[in-house]
Amino acid sequence: MNDINKKRTGNLISIQDSLVKARFFDDVIMGETAEISVDGKFLQAEVLQIQPDPKNADAGIVEMQVFEDLTGAMIGDEVVFKGTPLSVLLGPGLLTSVWDGLQNPLYKLSEEDPYLKPGMNAPALDEEVLWDFTPSVKVGDTVSGGDVIGNVPEGKVDHKILVPFSFGTCKVESIIEKSSVNIIQQVAIVVDEQNKKHELQLAFRQPVKSPIPFVDRAIPSHAISTGTRVIDLLAPVGYGGTVGNPGPFGAGKTVLQHSLCKYAVADIMIMAACGERAGEAVEVFKEFAELEDPTTGESLMNRMCIFGNTSSMPVAAREASVFIALTVGEYYRYQGKKVVLLADSTSRWAQALRERSGRQGDIPGPEAFPMDIPDQIKGMYQRAGEDLGTGGSLTFIGTVSPAGGNFQEPVTQATMDATGGFWGLSQDRADAKKYPAIDPLVYTTSVYDGFVSWKDRRKMIQTLNDANDIDQTISTIGLKKVPVSNYVQFQKGLTIDFCVMQQDAFDKVDACTRPDRLQVINQAVQNLIDSSIDFQQGDMDDEQIKELIKQKFDGLRQWWREWNYSAKSEEEVTNLPKAVDKFILQEEYAV
Amino acid sequence: MIRKEINKISEVGKALISVEGNPGVALNHVVELLEADSNQSLSFAKAINITEDSTRFQVFNGTTGLSTSTKIRMHEIPLTAGFSNKMLGRSFDGAGEVSDGGPDVIFEKEVSTRLDTLNPTVRNVPKQALWTGIPMIDVFNTLVKSQKIPIFAGPTEPYNRLLSQIAQGAQADVIIFAGIGLKFDEYHYFKEQLSQSGNIDKTIMFSHLAGDSQIKGLMLPDVALSVAREFGDQGKDVLVLLTDMTNWSNILRNVANYQDMIPSLQGYPGSLYSELAKRYEVAADIEGAGSITIIGATTLESLEDPVPDNTGYITEGQFFLENGKLKLARSLSRLKQGVNGKTRSDHRAIMTAMASLLADAEKAHEAAEVGAANDPYSQKLLRYRTDFIDNVEEPFGEPIELEAALDKCWAILKRHFDPTETGLSKKLIEEYWDKN
Repeated sequence: MNDINKKRTGNLISIQDSLVKARFFDDVIMGETAEISVDGKFLQAEVLQIQPDPKNADAGIVEMQVFEDLTGAMIGDEVVFKGTPLSVLLGPGLLTSVWDGLQNPLYKLSEEDPYLKPGMNAPALDEEVLWDFTPSVKVGDTVSGGDVIGNVPEGKVDHKILVPFSFGTCKVESIIEKSSVNIIQQVAIVVDEQNKKHELQLAFRQPVKSPIPFVDRAIPSHAISTGTRVIDLLAPVGYGGTVGNPGPFGAGKTVLQHSLCKYAVADIMIMAACGERAGEAVEVFKEFAELEDPTTGESLMNRMCIFGNTSSMPVAAREASVFIALTVGEYYRYQGKKVVLLADSTSRWAQALRERSGRQGDIPGPEAFPMDIPDQIKGMYQRAGEDLGTGGSLTFIGTVSPAGGNFQEPVTQATMDATGGFWGLSQDRADAKKYPAIDPLVYTTSVYDGFVSWKDRRKMIQTLNDANDIDQTISTIGLKKVPVSNYVQFQKGLTIDFCVMQQDAFDKVDACTRPDRLQVINQAVQNLIDSSIDFQQGDMDDEQIKELIKQKFDGLRQWWREWNYSAKSEEEVTNLPKAVDKFILQEEYAV
Repeated sequence: MIRKEINKISEVGKALISVEGNPGVALNHVVELLEADSNQSLSFAKAINITEDSTRFQVFNGTTGLSTSTKIRMHEIPLTAGFSNKMLGRSFDGAGEVSDGGPDVIFEKEVSTRLDTLNPTVRNVPKQALWTGIPMIDVFNTLVKSQKIPIFAGPTEPYNRLLSQIAQGAQADVIIFAGIGLKFDEYHYFKEQLSQSGNIDKTIMFSHLAGDSQIKGLMLPDVALSVAREFGDQGKDVLVLLTDMTNWSNILRNVANYQDMIPSLQGYPGSLYSELAKRYEVAADIEGAGSITIIGATTLESLEDPVPDNTGYITEGQFFLENGKLKLARSLSRLKQGVNGKTRSDHRAIMTAMASLLADAEKAHEAAEVGAANDPYSQKLLRYRTDFIDNVEEPFGEPIELEAALDKCWAILKRHFDPTETGLSKKLIEEYWDKN
C-alpha cells in the first residue's frame, strides 16, 4: 500500500444525486473517506466500490456516496482521499450532545446558520471544556488497545480514558499528573513495538463499521426495568439484548420510544433518530432535559446523547448515523456501562441502502431492497450484547416502519430473524386506543425469567389467549351460547388486558411501573387467574348471572384503573392484591 | 455578462434531454433552451445527471418542439425562486413565473429552492394553535402552528373545497396555495373562492394544471415552499396548502421512470419517502422567527398505497375525509396535546367524552344493522351519532370560534343524554350543562 500520508487525489467523472464517480491514478482504499471540493466547500464522501477505468489502463474509477447535497458539483472537481474509514470521535463530552448523523454538533452549527448547508462542519466534541484527568498508569507500564490509562468524571459517569482500540502493545513513555485538560491536549506518549511514538489525548477516532470487540461476551439474561408493564411482564429485554419494534404509523411507536427513553434503567441512553420527523427528536432534547433520570435524579439529558439524522437530511448520512451511534454504545459498554441504543427507524436506514443500491444499478431483491439486506440487518443487531469482561452491555432496540403496516415486508422479516425480542404494535389495538399497542399475543423474548417467573408468565398469556378465543366465539355465536364458566374466564382476561397490559404513558403514576410494584400486580393477577368465584345469588338464570358478572368485573376494572393512576405509598400499593382477594370472595373491597 | 452556449443536444425524450460530452455545467444548475435561429427562449432546464460523456437535463416546459439544433445557454446558478411581498394576491406557475395575466412582479430577492434542512436545535417545540374555524379540527384535532398534516381522501371527495374552507378561516399571516396537477375546474374554483374571501390579500397561488409540463409540477412545491420559508424567516405565520401530493408523487414516479431508475413499490422510486419528507419537513416553528404549517391533500384508493402510507409516517397525523365529512375516528392530530390543555377548561373533557360516546354509538350502529339495538340507550346513541355526523363532522359552512364550537358540543350532548351518561365530571356539568 502507498504511504497514506501522501496526498492522494482524483477527479469527478460522474455525478448523480448523492452518488459520484472519480478517476484516480494513485491507490484508493475500499471504505475510506474522501473530501470533494465543490465551489470552495469540502463535502464528505465514502468509497463504495473500486473499478478499472475502461478508458485509461493506468487509472481506476472509484464510486463514492456523498453525505451532503452536491448542487454545484462539476466534472473535474477534485477529490482528496483521507486514508481513514468513516469514524467517530470518542471521549468525554459525548453525553448531553446533539449531533447530526455524521457527529456534527447541531447547537454549534446553529451559531453559524439556522439552516444546515453543505460543507458545514464543526468538531464533534467541545475542544475547550476542561476535564479532571486522573492517570491510572505510570511510565514504563505496558498497555495495548482498549486499556485504561486514566479517567475523568463526565457528570456522574466515570469516563475511562482508553488506548485507541487499533493500538498493539506499547510502553508508556510519559503520562501527565492529575490535572485539568481538554480533549486535544496530550495526556500520554506511548511507544509501540516498532519504536514509534504515539501521542494520546482524552479523545480518539474509531472506525464505525468494524465493531469494538467484546472481552467476554455473554448471552443477555438480566431483564431491564423499562417501566412498561406489557414489556416487563411478557416480553422483557435483557441488558445486551436486541428488540425489533414494528408498527404501522399511528400505532404508538414514538410514544413507546419516548417512554423507554425516560424510564428504562440504564447508565447511558443513545438515540439514533434515523430518517424520522425532526419534531420528535426536538421534543427529546428540548423537553427531556427537564425530566429526571430514574436512577440519578438528575436531568435525563445527562445520560443521553442524540444523533439526529432526520428525514429531510441527506440520505447517505442516514446509514452512517446508526453505525456511529452503535460505536459510541460499544465504547461505553467497553467501559463497563449499561447502554441502551434506540434506533428510530431501522426501516429508514434500510431505505437509505435501497436508494443507494438503486442508484448503483444493483440487481434488486424483494421490494427493491438490496439482496443482502437481511445480512446487513443481522450484522447491525449482532453488535449489541453483554460483556462479562467489562460488566457493560449494549442493548439495541430498533423500531421498524413496515410499508402498509404489513409485517411480511423484507425489513420486518429480516429484523424478526435478527433480534432476540419482537414487540409488534397492532393497528387493531391502536384503533381501540389500547396503548401501548404491543399485542400481548404477538411478541417474542429471549429472556427466560424476567421480573416474574416463566410459569407465571405462561399462565398470564394462557388467560389472555383464552379470553381472545372466547371473545371470538361470543361475536360468532352470541353471548347466549357461551357457558358461564367461559364467560368468567373471558372477563378475567379482559381485566388483565385492561388493567395491566394497557398503560397510560401520559399519567405521572401509571407511566412507569417498577419491579416491586410489578410483583404486587403479578400477585393480584395470579390470584385472579387461579380463583374460582361464586357469583350465584339466589335464583338467577344464566343471562342474569352473566349480566351480574359483567357488572362485578366492570367495578373491579374501574377500581384497578383508579389504583393504577393513584396508588403511590407502600400501603396504597399493597391494597391491590387485598382488593382482588376480596373481589374473589365477593366481599366489599373499597379500600 | 455573456453566457456560454452549446449546441449539441443528442437525445430528446419525455421531459428529459441529453447532450454529449461535458459542457461544463454543474449539478442542479439552470440552463435556458433557445430556438436555434430566432434565439427565442423555449424553456429552462436543470442539470440532474452529469458524466464526462453526457449531461442530462429536466426540461421545465416539456420537450415537445425541441430538436437537436436547439441551443442551450448556461446560467451557472442553481434554481432559485423570486421573492417579493408584492407576490401577495397574485398567481404563479410551478417555476414561479406570473400566471394571472397581470403585470410582472419585481422580485426583491432570489431565494434558494434547495430546501436545506432547518437545524433541529432552531425548532421550537410546537405549542401554538392555528385556529381554522372548523369545529372538527379546532375542538377534536387541533391544528398546531408548524404542523405538517395531510387530508386523506378518496379522489372524488371534496378535499379541495375543504382546503379552500381552511384557507378562508385560517388565522395565518400568509397563505400559500400550491396546486399540482389541478383540473381546470379545481383551479377555477380556488381562484374564485380566494378572490371572494377576505384572505385574498395575504394569499399567493402557485398552480400547475393537469397536462402542463410535468417538470413544472415536480418543482412547484419547492418553489412554493421556498417562498413560504422566506416569509417564515421574516417572522410571519405561514400556512401552505399542497394539493394534491398524490399527483406530485405520480409525476415523481414518471420522471424516475424516464430516468430508468429501479422502481420499488408500485413503480415509485425507492426515494419516495425521502422526497416527500424533504417537502413536509419544511414545516417548522422557528426560534426567533415565524412558522410554516403545511396541510397537504393526499388522494388515495387505499391507506396501504405507497403515497398515503409514506405520508403517514412523515406527517404529524391526518385528517380523514369520507362522504364529505371529516371523520373523527380516523383523524388524528399528533400535536394537539401541546395546545388543547390551554384553552377553555372543558375542551379536553368534551373532546374525550364525545369521542367515547361516538365509539359506543358506532357499536350500536353496527348492532342496529342486524336489528340488535332496540334498547332505549342504543336508540339514544344512534340519534346522537346522526347529530354528530351532521353537525360536528360537517366541515363546510361559516367558520365558528372555538368557544362557540364547544358550546355547540354541549348543546348536542344535552339534546341526547342525561348528564351522568356523558362521563363528564360533576364540576364541568355544573359549569356548562345549563348554559347551553
